[in-house]
Amino acid sequence: MSDSDNASDLDDGPDGVRAEEEATGGTVEGAAREPDRKAPDEREAITTDEEKDDARQIVTGEARYTADYRDRFPDLAHGKVVRSDIAHGHVESVDTSAAEAMDGVYAVITPFDDVVPDTLYSSSGQSYPEPSPWDLTVLREHVRFVGDPVAAVAAEDPDTADRAARKVEVEYRERDAVFDPEAALDEDAPQLFETDDVENKQSGADYARNLESHFEGELGDVDAAFDAAEAGEGVHVVETEWETPYQSHCVPEPHATIAYTDEDDRHVFITATQVPFHTRRQISHLFDVPIRDVRVTKPRIGAGFGSKQEMAIEPITFALHLAAGRPVKLEMTRQEEFTALRFRHPMRMRMKTAVTEEGDIEAMDLYTLSNSGAYGTHGMTVANNVGTKPLPIYPRVPNVRFSGDVVHTNLPMGAAMRGYGAPQGHFAVESHMDEVARRLGLDPIEFRLRNAVREGDLDRSVAILKDDDRFERTIRSCGIRECVERGKEAIGYDDLDQPDEDHRHRGVGMALIAQGSGVAGKELGAAQVKMNEDGSFHLQVGGVDTGTGADTMFSQIAAEVLGCPPEDVVVVAADTDLTPFDYGAYASSTTYISGRAVKNAAEDAKERLLEWGATLLDEPPEVLDTGDGAVYSEETGNRVSLEEIGYEATYGDDEREHILGDGNHSTDESPPPYGAQFVDVTVNEETGEYDLNKLVFAADCGVAINPALVEGQIEGGEHMSLEYATSGGLSFDGEGNPEVQGFRQYGMPRTTDHPPMETILVETHEPTGPFGAKSIAELPTNGVPPALSNAIRDAVGVRLTELPFTDEDLRAALDARDGDD
Amino acid sequence: MDIELTINGETTTVEAGSEQDLATVLRQHGHIDVKCGCDGGTCGASKVFVDGDVRMACGMAATEAEGSDVQTVASLGTQDDLHPVQQAFVDNFAVQCGFCIPGMIVQATALLDENPDPTEREVREALDDNVCRCTGYQKPVEAVLDAAGRMREEGVAADGGRPIGGEPADDTAMGKPADAGGCCGGGCDE
Ligand code: FES
Ligand code: FES
Repeated sequence: MSDSDNASDLDDGPDGVRAEEEATGGTVEGAAREPDRKAPDEREAITTDEEKDDARQIVTGEARYTADYRDRFPDLAHGKVVRSDIAHGHVESVDTSAAEAMDGVYAVITPFDDVVPDTLYSSSGQSYPEPSPWDLTVLREHVRFVGDPVAAVAAEDPDTADRAARKVEVEYRERDAVFDPEAALDEDAPQLFETDDVENKQSGADYARNLESHFEGELGDVDAAFDAAEAGEGVHVVETEWETPYQSHCVPEPHATIAYTDEDDRHVFITATQVPFHTRRQISHLFDVPIRDVRVTKPRIGAGFGSKQEMAIEPITFALHLAAGRPVKLEMTRQEEFTALRFRHPMRMRMKTAVTEEGDIEAMDLYTLSNSGAYGTHGMTVANNVGTKPLPIYPRVPNVRFSGDVVHTNLPMGAAMRGYGAPQGHFAVESHMDEVARRLGLDPIEFRLRNAVREGDLDRSVAILKDDDRFERTIRSCGIRECVERGKEAIGYDDLDQPDEDHRHRGVGMALIAQGSGVAGKELGAAQVKMNEDGSFHLQVGGVDTGTGADTMFSQIAAEVLGCPPEDVVVVAADTDLTPFDYGAYASSTTYISGRAVKNAAEDAKERLLEWGATLLDEPPEVLDTGDGAVYSEETGNRVSLEEIGYEATYGDDEREHILGDGNHSTDESPPPYGAQFVDVTVNEETGEYDLNKLVFAADCGVAINPALVEGQIEGGEHMSLEYATSGGLSFDGEGNPEVQGFRQYGMPRTTDHPPMETILVETHEPTGPFGAKSIAELPTNGVPPALSNAIRDAVGVRLTELPFTDEDLRAALDARDGDD
Repeated sequence: MDIELTINGETTTVEAGSEQDLATVLRQHGHIDVKCGCDGGTCGASKVFVDGDVRMACGMAATEAEGSDVQTVASLGTQDDLHPVQQAFVDNFAVQCGFCIPGMIVQATALLDENPDPTEREVREALDDNVCRCTGYQKPVEAVLDAAGRMREEGVAADGGRPIGGEPADDTAMGKPADAGGCCGGGCDE
């Protein structure tokens, strides 16, 4: 009784014929019992604003996050990390004696201790083997940025741990450091890694030049297309450059982990993670303990946004636990979050296109230089997505090149962050496209729609960096045009009032947006449904709710299949001992991958419900269906409640069965959700100050299983995107010391910094998704920087190319414009 | 040292180091609804009422709370019987990860007690030092406006159905029930 599917069986030929059938109402294999597409009036539990299942615990303060489990451990020790205060060097010695002599100190660990393995690993919570290089050790003898962990302390309370950590004396042999990625590529630059410091499977690594990865891919013949354009008439070549800063996740709950060993000698982690199963595997690798002896559980989590797709602090916590011989809790401070944990990679990008007078794009060439910082977690893969997310907006462009270099510097490490390279990429591509249109005298929106993706297109650019065509994809659902139409109307694109004052100008900018739904060919979700005798169900699912409401969405999908209300589905999730496997919450995979596994599991259980219904109603299962808490006959209208079935199946006289269902989902598909971001801005030409009047985001995420939760994703994603455009960023002094230490110095938008936001959901039906759903979580993180750059260009004719846009930048651009006049 | 104070209606003695902040001490004594999201005084997650005033508990020495009446979000309502602000946060989908929410609800409740009919701008200003990374503040702001409407309709503030903070005798204190008030359902001594 296993229902497993692999949606690659849906792969179409290049003509996309099958896709059109599907998009107009076909069914999906593996869901043969009932059509996946449901008209709005046929839906019971989906496309409804089902209350978020933990909302009441949250508003009463009862929701428990990792650190809130402290009271379960009377002998809990509190951890503290000692971090490098130099940007580059080697630890010569660590004097722990003063710390160890303190009352209440249980353990002080250094890279030289036996409990601290020197095994190489990658902290990236990625599939096995991780594409990211194995370049980390638990504690570092060779420190590569200010903030690298060198030692750690466990003590009876946090104060004692803090004081003890300050007494640990570390002596370094300092080395020259390099902070600029271009300078780091120089042959003479200080070298961060020797080749044997690292196991790196990424393409193009050259550690002599601090190059973590170089990659490139091409469709058609880009050089020939540009040569022809330069030589001929009527084709314009436009080249632009863009730059983005570090961005902090500002994850609300700082990283926290409790590690202990239970009475069965099993190692248990209560931890704020997006990736329990990857963490289990990586702990097993690092500490050489069997996977089965590690249990990773995720309680409520104060969001992740990618920062917790990292095994960032679990290894130190576990080493402290081994040394102290008692449960250990390690919590990061906000300062550590801002200086030592993980960030969005800063990048410099170059975009070049050849475009005909009429507005057909003949060639695109995108290059990115990514500053990976001191270590390589998610280095190449994030940089890959700079191109492979936005370039597929224009899938019919015949000549496309995308290349990049990922470079180490002695600064904090970039990693996964919501959007995963797409925010950088969209800034370059969508600002560039707008600039091209304006230079050619074309309407920027019309120009883009002329070239933009349509249902049935074969998208090859998504696979531009792959060796074969397995990951080229046919677009089966695309609402991008309706997103633009409705967004235009909402922002008032066609009749914009200008302010009365001569020096104030209003403009509107738009960016097209795309993301994916999971990592194509590198995902697995699984789920089990167990019926209780009262007609309710337990749903065990590996998928990880990071605060988004994923558990609620799972219950809705299961309920829609099982014919019960979502509240009758109890979700047990993300515990490596109790739930089936899941790759974790990243790459916008939860609804599409884990949600589809849930649907498959529910369908598997539903088959058993119908069999029992058939026996009890004395009708063939083929005429039966589930709904309204019962199995009913479409022919006679007779019904038997799920509760009756539950009791009969569990306690019946003749035959008994625990009604169970299981489901898997893995696929080569990753259908893009689409969106259009609009920004309305007023610029003061005298001062360079600008005011955002309104943001509009129109999204096509297929069928929104829970529209209110989807809106929440969009509003939150836009918030991060707004920060990226207007106020975020980290700075460092000349020695690599971080200047941003907390919220006070970091430009996270507050309530009053937010302009009005309007959110529009455009429904399409993605035939490979659960009930037609695609992803939403990352899509809205991509739009504000390009849309705002475009809006400012529209308002006052200047182009801002470096994030975040400050009033001073704008003032300088206006001065330059006037100087040129 | 030992500190005597009232926490959510219960008078109790807690042990606190001279340098310990109130948030840490409250959490150590099981009040996990007080969240800590920063290194002190900048994120708003630790907001509680101290004698009716909203304070960031992390920014206040525990010793300073000696003798005072501390109320956390847990005093407002229960899962089955939510305070209208809590109910509005649930109904408006204003919670995502929820880490910021206790502090945000404390602040919102204080606002509505002082100003039962705020404009959107006033709500935004009141919540300006409550950072939230998940919601873009949109649904929390909508929730507070919705709660204001419900409370005006139900006359909650006027009949004292849900007192928060403050001595019953002090009717200038924010969040205090009017004289006729009934039991708060867990947050007061009655
Ligand atoms: S923890 Fe108190 S304001 Fe952040
Ligand atoms: S809901 Fe997550 S920080 Fe506000």
